[in-house]
Amino acid sequence: MVKSTLAAAISVWLVLTSAHCHPERFSEHLSLKSLRDGRVATRFSFKTVVQDAVPRAPDSLADEDDAQHYTLFPLSLGQILRSYAVTEMHLTLNSGRWDYTRWGYPEEAGVATGAELWAWMGDSETVSLDERWKGLRNALAGLFCASLGSLDERRTTSPSHSFKPEGHLPKYSQPHRLRHATLPSENVCTENLTPFLKLLPCKSSSGIASLLNPHKLFDADWHGMAIHVTWDKNEGVVVELSFQAVFDSVRTNFFRKRDWSFEHLFGRKIVQHCTAAVASVIEVDLPVDVAYSISPEPSSALNGIAKYDVSAFSGGLDVSLKWPGEEAFAYPLHPPTQPLTDFTITRVLTGPTQSRGQLSISITNNLPDEATVLYVETMPWFVQFYLHTMRLTVDRRQRDDLLSSLSYTLPIAHGRPTLFEPRLRLPPNSTVALTMEVVKSFLQYTEHPPDAQRGWDLPPAVLVPLRTTRPSNSTTPNVSTTSDATPLTQSLGHRQPNLQRIYTRNLLVDLATPDFSMPYNVIIMSSTLIALAFGMLFNLLTRKFVLVNVAPRVVAAEAVSK
Amino acid sequence: MDYHYVLPVVVAGRLLISYSLHSDALLHNHQLSSPPTSYSRLQEGVYLFKNAINPYSGGLFHHSPLLLSLFSTVIPLSSAISPALWTLCDTLGAHCMVSIWRARSKLESSRRDGLIAALYLLNPYILLSSLALSTSTFENALYLLSLSFASQGSSSQALLCLAILTHLSLPSALLAAPIVMLLISGPESYLASPKAFTGDARKATRLCAEYLVYALSLTMISTVISDGWTWVPKTWGASLLLPDLTPNPGLWWYFFTEMFDHFRPFFLVVFSAHLVIYVAPLCIKFQHDPLYVTFLLQGILATFKPYPTLADPGLFLSTIALFPETYPYLRHPIVTVLLHVHASLLLPLFHHLWLGQGSGNANFFYASTLVFGMANGAALIDCAWAGLRIAFGEKVPGHEVVQK
Repeated sequence: MVKSTLAAAISVWLVLTSAHCHPERFSEHLSLKSLRDGRVATRFSFKTVVQDAVPRAPDSLADEDDAQHYTLFPLSLGQILRSYAVTEMHLTLNSGRWDYTRWGYPEEAGVATGAELWAWMGDSETVSLDERWKGLRNALAGLFCASLGSLDERRTTSPSHSFKPEGHLPKYSQPHRLRHATLPSENVCTENLTPFLKLLPCKSSSGIASLLNPHKLFDADWHGMAIHVTWDKNEGVVVELSFQAVFDSVRTNFFRKRDWSFEHLFGRKIVQHCTAAVASVIEVDLPVDVAYSISPEPSSALNGIAKYDVSAFSGGLDVSLKWPGEEAFAYPLHPPTQPLTDFTITRVLTGPTQSRGQLSISITNNLPDEATVLYVETMPWFVQFYLHTMRLTVDRRQRDDLLSSLSYTLPIAHGRPTLFEPRLRLPPNSTVALTMEVVKSFLQYTEHPPDAQRGWDLPPAVLVPLRTTRPSNSTTPNVSTTSDATPLTQSLGHRQPNLQRIYTRNLLVDLATPDFSMPYNVIIMSSTLIALAFGMLFNLLTRKFVLVNVAPRVVAAEAVSK
Repeated sequence: MDYHYVLPVVVAGRLLISYSLHSDALLHNHQLSSPPTSYSRLQEGVYLFKNAINPYSGGLFHHSPLLLSLFSTVIPLSSAISPALWTLCDTLGAHCMVSIWRARSKLESSRRDGLIAALYLLNPYILLSSLALSTSTFENALYLLSLSFASQGSSSQALLCLAILTHLSLPSALLAAPIVMLLISGPESYLASPKAFTGDARKATRLCAEYLVYALSLTMISTVISDGWTWVPKTWGASLLLPDLTPNPGLWWYFFTEMFDHFRPFFLVVFSAHLVIYVAPLCIKFQHDPLYVTFLLQGILATFKPYPTLADPGLFLSTIALFPETYPYLRHPIVTVLLHVHASLLLPLFHHLWLGQGSGNANFFYASTLVFGMANGAALIDCAWAGLRIAFGEKVPGHEVVQK
């Protein structure tokens, strides 16, 4: 009797809890691409989908949360997302500088040097958005062993025009808002990778993740990890953990060839596949116009991409790509004739003094069409812009009309950073130069970092191309042209620019430093000066003036001398 | 020197210099313009205001909304107009100096007029600040205008000018007490023959009330202009809380750069209260000559206020010209002059070594501000001494004036 009631109770409990259990799906993916300069760009992606799950509504934060049961989804990350009611979140930790001119677009847009965190969260009255943002960054700092706690109010901005949500946003009682922060001096290292691997269902013991060998990854020319949480209304909550790295296979090859294999790049090969993964795919971009050999035989090869299904290779998988006709790799001496990216952006901070300088940005539009872009600059408060000195020039001719609108949040000393977000029109095939004077502020001595003379890293600026509407004269398709000899420029002309955002490199700003050993001395010396002035003045004002007869003594002295 | 001859020549010379010497280095010089008086920041504020961005939402702009509305509507800030406007303000200041002198000495015109005007217009501290288009030029002109009206007995105009001055620079509010006294008792010199202040309390109350009404209306006007109260913490608040630690020739900036965080509020209160302490004792001790009180108090402000520029001590030094009767009683004028020469050589040199050249550090410039503080303090103490000593007449052989 007791047994049966217990069994009934358990079954009821199971039914109840399973109501909160959503089916989960894990898939892993690795893509490898040989770059023009002999390097190999790799991207690992581990995607977990909690089907039909919905992000927590911020209004329910006051109530106890439903119990969450995950099988594949990383629990520690799930708890963070639930307790701060985060709808969408992107965290990237990168080391090195992505070279757009030589490598083209990265597979994943977030290649800002250092740490970048942005999140879309529903506004709510129960727990304020900024409180949850603070909680989120501190929790992530703990989870990934990174100094994300420093992404405080002094770094946080809200460039909502540029960082649009990548998934869907559920309809809550209050609108969603963006919080974005960058920490350019944060570097990614092994201590960040270990917690990253712990979030994966197979850890690094099997499947594609077994290739994530810290010794090799952190030796790469460029490497970075990313965590993306999005919500897709058709799929559910999607968590994608990814790792990008650019390896220099020529440098590590004894014969200076660009041949690579898993063993060569990662020091490992895939021994067994991750059984938790529904899909485990490796994609290799095959070279064009050159003789190559790839082994083992790919599961499929389509459109210049070789695909491997890891589960089909039971005896271990070590993909290798060789250029048999090549002796040693010859580095390309000239830049590519056709730029690899639609836009090129450089940003420099000039100026000889420690109190002011000039910020020069030049943006090149490589497209044969006019393009509209957003330029996003988030500056810490200690570099302040003089907007009245802003000049836009094309070929040294002033073109202030190219600035179509400007959104600008002023910095607050010791507090909020600047957000400078102009919308620019870029004429076809030309370079727009934007210059502006900046003031470098003077910090309190406690605000300086321990190695103050090194200077401050300034976060990268972001160029966000916007979808352009076609000019009215070309809305009709080109079918009316009599011959098929459409000029090349015209056929290229109406293509949409690649909408991936482009990051500039970091800047280092040299701020004037006080003498860090001086606090007591300054307090003593300034106070002495003030006390002296005060004392002498009050001495004059309070003590009575009297006329003293000093003559008799003089007379007596004179008498003695006589 | 004939005033009618000297003034046009000097002003013409000033105009020539201000149009030919247009240098960025002067414009951004930390000694000539501090954050609340900087021309570039004013330009930035006007730019933002014109582009419908509230300049008070950020930490860069500390100017009064009155200046903001003036330069965004009536007078445009441009390299063609500004030098002339600044020179004009200095000319007005010089003329006011002369009229104060005339009121004090009860002379229609004297041979000293030209000298006084030239001393003001050619004082290097004032001249350079004016070339740097620092708005402290306006503050100086308003101060002299207020004193000039007060010396002539035009109470409303004097108090209005003072209210505008207070609005531009909050510490100037301390000058209200001696200026009200000046309006009651007149500008004549009674330093040599002190008498008790015989003021009508009712008149004083009326004058104070009038001043407050002006100050309040300016506040309301500013609030309407900038659409809210955001300007208050950014303008007046800045002179109490010192958010911007840009170097200047004063004593506050390095003190609060090096201050321990938990002592910061305490010392901010001490430094602000320190300025207030002097008002009552000076007004009591020099009750016979309120113009001299104003002069000394301005010297104290120039030395100890939060964001001074060289124009503030410059004004103090130039106004010494109004009190020639005290000269014989100065104890150490040579030392004061040498200290000033010393400081004015060290200040630009060490500033450049620290921020431009990079071969010096912050202590270099701090040390020169200390020397400058000593020079101003020495001038101040000596003037206070001379103002009191004069009452005991010329030196009698065999007798010495000492303090009990």
